[in-house]
Amino acid sequence: MSSVFYDRFERHSNAEGLKAHATHYCPGCGHGLAHKYLAEAIEELGIQDRVVAVSPVGCSVFLYYYFDVGNTQAAHGRAPAVALGHKMANPDSVVVSYQGDGDLASIGLAEIVSAAQMGIPLTVIFVNNAIYGMTGGQMAPTSLMGQKTATSPHGRAVMAGQPMKMAELISGLDGPVYVERVALFDAKNRNRAKKAIKKALQIQAEGRGLAFVEVLAECPTHLKMNPEEAEAWVREKMLPVFPLGVKKDSVPEPWFKPQAPSFDPEKVMQLVGGSSDHTERHCTTFPTHLDLHDVSLKLAGSGGDGAQTAAMLIAHAGINEGFDATHIPSYGPESRGGTSYADVHVAKEEVHNPAAPKPHIVIAFNSPSLVKFGPTVRPGGTILYDSSVVKNPGKFLEGVKVYGVPMTEIAVDLGKAMVKNIVALGALQAATGLFPKETFLAAIRKALKEKCAMIPLNEQAFAWGVKAVETLSS
Amino acid sequence: MTELRERPKPFLLPEFCKGCGRCISACAKHCIEYGKEINPQTGLVPVVVDLDQCNACGLCITACPEPYGLRESPVAHDFELEDPEKLYGTRHSTAPEPVDIPPEIIPLPPSEPLVIKGNYASAIGAILAGCRHFYGYPITPSTEGAELMAKLLPLLDGVFVQAVSEVATVNHLYGTGGAGLPCMTFTSSPGFSLMLEGISYMIGAEVPGVFVNVMRGGPGLGNIAPEQSDIKLGVRGLGHGNTHAIVLVPSTPQEMLDLTILAFDLTFKYRNPVVILSDGYLGQMTGKVTLPRTMRKPGIPKWAVYGDRNHRKNLISSIYLSETDLEKHNEYLNGKYASMAVETRAESHLCADLDVLLIACNTPARAAKGAVEELRNRGVKAGLFRPITLWPFPVGQLLPIAKRAKRIVVVEASAGQLEDEVRIALSRTEVRDLAPIEHVRRMGGVLPQQDDIVGKVKRPYAANKAAARRPEVHA
Ligand code: SF4
Ligand code: SF4
Ligand code: SF4
Repeated sequence: MSSVFYDRFERHSNAEGLKAHATHYCPGCGHGLAHKYLAEAIEELGIQDRVVAVSPVGCSVFLYYYFDVGNTQAAHGRAPAVALGHKMANPDSVVVSYQGDGDLASIGLAEIVSAAQMGIPLTVIFVNNAIYGMTGGQMAPTSLMGQKTATSPHGRAVMAGQPMKMAELISGLDGPVYVERVALFDAKNRNRAKKAIKKALQIQAEGRGLAFVEVLAECPTHLKMNPEEAEAWVREKMLPVFPLGVKKDSVPEPWFKPQAPSFDPEKVMQLVGGSSDHTERHCTTFPTHLDLHDVSLKLAGSGGDGAQTAAMLIAHAGINEGFDATHIPSYGPESRGGTSYADVHVAKEEVHNPAAPKPHIVIAFNSPSLVKFGPTVRPGGTILYDSSVVKNPGKFLEGVKVYGVPMTEIAVDLGKAMVKNIVALGALQAATGLFPKETFLAAIRKALKEKCAMIPLNEQAFAWGVKAVETLSS
Repeated sequence: MTELRERPKPFLLPEFCKGCGRCISACAKHCIEYGKEINPQTGLVPVVVDLDQCNACGLCITACPEPYGLRESPVAHDFELEDPEKLYGTRHSTAPEPVDIPPEIIPLPPSEPLVIKGNYASAIGAILAGCRHFYGYPITPSTEGAELMAKLLPLLDGVFVQAVSEVATVNHLYGTGGAGLPCMTFTSSPGFSLMLEGISYMIGAEVPGVFVNVMRGGPGLGNIAPEQSDIKLGVRGLGHGNTHAIVLVPSTPQEMLDLTILAFDLTFKYRNPVVILSDGYLGQMTGKVTLPRTMRKPGIPKWAVYGDRNHRKNLISSIYLSETDLEKHNEYLNGKYASMAVETRAESHLCADLDVLLIACNTPARAAKGAVEELRNRGVKAGLFRPITLWPFPVGQLLPIAKRAKRIVVVEASAGQLEDEVRIALSRTEVRDLAPIEHVRRMGGVLPQQDDIVGKVKRPYAANKAAARRPEVHA
């Protein structure tokens, strides 16, 4: 008797009477044997402390009554997903996903196939008895053709599909390293079953990979047979459909040795982008000439115009100056080609509403954007557009200041069309005085910290943007 | 043949035999036969063993499905056949009583504020809270969170797993949370629907985990624009059974970070999942985010199933077979939910002296805040009440303000899901003379705008009421 079984099954109806030492399984049920071989293997390998057993839903739902190991009970079909969660939490644990055929081969197909393909070391014990036991003898994914069950009273027919051959399916995946199908109907096969279960545990315990053992088991109750007849049924009826043997054995050298996660504060800070580098401030006051509390901008163009980057730079610049700022992009399918627009706010204390339905400033990189957002600018506001691409800006509200700046043209002359958004920022600065020039330039330099070579070009683009507006205004 | 004699012969206590007969065919020596007498203790008919011919091959033992059925006899000396306790001595589990390994607080160097998206802020909050395990399935508009985790966690020797589905995701969390470690996912509405089964299991089995649902437009595939129509799921619909979880509703990128850190505290404090309901707009919104001055290194709680000696005794399960046990468990859980009342959080803006009270959360609360400012500028005494926990609902904070209000307007991007919570919470206070509740609602990914709110408030209540007589889906 394996010492991995509890000495009293206290979780089994509080261990009252015989339940302290007897399983809940029907007489002759194959689960009892699979449990026994699993317990013995755990004991022989000396891994009892490391084992986490994941109980499924099905007749073996109460596996945790019996095994003196860490136990988790999972939802129907989800045991491999739960097992993976345990394994990732503690790579040193030896996690067993124990499942029946309804659990593994029907409702939990996605979980087992994906876990198997991932190949993270786990041990899967799949008990296939060709029937739903717990719910009362319904057809299982592994029921045989012609097999009469509660939900195939006339025998499994072609409309119900063919039995699922899980060992073959799993061995066809790249992830698992060891797949075997075993049976319990005679001494020789019981011996093989025991060995296979032990091997499957050892492979995981040594960090070699995922092992899958399918156990053809007897469910005398729903086969409506005595155990001896059930053994014969498995041998005569199941074996031709589910041939026994090793389906895959390509066990590699131990490889699964993850490091313990790092909690080094310096490293964490660096990775999340924290930095004590202080950016110098250049604003003496909030741009109250635009608004007393909160200036809003709309930047719009097509995908590659750099509207979002420019918007982001404005938000960064505002925050560097100690103001609050927000930026919201249009996103999703809209951001894949077509119009891309951004709402930006810079507030003295706090941005209340981050949307910009009535912006103080509109920057339009193309004609549709100008048509769409130009009219939303509030009275006294400012519109900047790329006059290289917009030829007929149309009419806007009285009092709205409109600047056509050849952003693309300037950028192309500088050798990189991409920098037209920086030209726009220069123009924005000159047209509105949102922030001093140095504020924008500091934000640009900070953004290009990793690409220093780009800084001079961007500075030039900004300067040309400023100059363009100054020329227009003079 | 000397070893043969050393091998023990089988031994059977009749009361542990189910009489299945699997041992009978295993024995070539025909030592075992079906019995004829019913065992009075079990009502079953145990087999009869006669070891005269036995060669101690052990095959019958290997064939017996019962742990305490046929087994090797102890060294042959006298023993009391009937009493297993005396026979083997009491062999209690050798696993020790589990002890808590407490988390550590680690100081962080000072930093300039970050300028980041809400989804990133939440991911960074999780890292600072000690989360090194992320599981998720890509879904817009939540993916930036997962993407940042995918980038950062491997550099911290943490775990990022792109799960096969949201169903698998929540079960990965069940495993890692059950092992006692902080873990999380980012998802959006359709994905959250799929996780509900697992969330119910987590609540039942008391497994911690943090769910960030960046809500989008529904029902069905809907769209990827912001909505708040999962409030009912978070607050009243966390899968089957009597479930509840603390629901946090951030409205700025800063809160995405702060409330994510808080969520990890609360999920372990209560051994219960915590849900952060964000919205598509906030997830994508970039803003100023100030980092805290400490971070967490998690410990391992004593209840965890970690897979080591210290935790071997433990079980994570939501099964309570007997009705009375399950009722007790539900009473215990409900007591736990009730104890979460101390976690209610809310913010009020210009509510000290007001006529019109706006109630909103997430991004609509920001439009409402803008509307409050605008209305105040126009001489209307408006104020905003912004719940930060939707469950438990901060009714203690709301009630004194609601009592002073002449009008109450709930602003939301859903068909009244927030309003339902407000009404339920207020109705339970038994205070009956409150102002009638009006609303500004948008759906389908359209957020209530400042103009909508100001327009609503500027119209007198009677006019709104007349307008509302038009047929409306919401009762
Ligand atoms: S119903 Fe079948 S599988 Fe379930 S315990 Fe009984 S014999 Fe075993
Ligand atoms: S040990 Fe071998 S010979 Fe003895 S009873 Fe068991 S199966 Fe028969
Ligand atoms: S196999 Fe075990 S339970 Fe079944 S009859 Fe034999 S001793 Fe009894």
